[in-house]
Amino acid sequence: MDIARAGGQAPDFEAMAYQDGKFEKIKLSDYAGKWTVICFYPGDFTFV
Amino acid sequence: MAAVAAKKSEFDDLGVEVLSISTNSHFVHKIWQAEELSKMVEGGFPWPMVSDGNGRIGRAYGVYDEQGGVNIRGRFIIDPDGIIQAMEVLTPTVGRNVGELIRQVKAFQHVRDTGEVTPSGWQPGKPTLKPRPDLVGMVWKEWKVENAE
Repeated sequence: MDIARAGGQAPDFEAMAYQDGKFEKIKLSDYAGKWTVICFYPGDFTFV
Repeated sequence: MAAVAAKKSEFDDLGVEVLSISTNSHFVHKIWQAEELSKMVEGGFPWPMVSDGNGRIGRAYGVYDEQGGVNIRGRFIIDPDGIIQAMEVLTPTVGRNVGELIRQVKAFQHVRDTGEVTPSGWQPGKPTLKPRPDLVGMVWKEWKVENAE
């Protein structure tokens, strides 16, 4: 898989997620047709 | 992530979906939401909190720190065609500016809708530029550095 770069296709992924009290498998490609922001962060319970 | 969650209605107005991703499990995301995020913002983080346990997603986006075993602070704006239009990567100690994220989303949406381009510091209502041959060398007539503030 190509690495992410501005102007390039966003690498697709599928992973478990938590939302609204539920665990579910989500896929980036399910968001096709929408503006999507993805935010990575170092970890839950970190300070910033 | 609480600062992003606090802007939920603005993201909704712009038709933007958000995903947060860390190497924590979805079980830990649930506890973080319950114990901390929901105390910082009403309702907590309202979008999917994704688990990237083995760093596979972070590697694909160039933000996985192999030594630390965590994803550093990468933020990506993806358009409806699945193209990354903007990316920002910070090391863990400095937080994001959500206002700048929203400004960039508005600018990319404006460009997509109009074919105009948005100069430095553009906000909705400020002058844009329409690329055309007779604009070459003439930007100084249509745009002033004060517009960037």
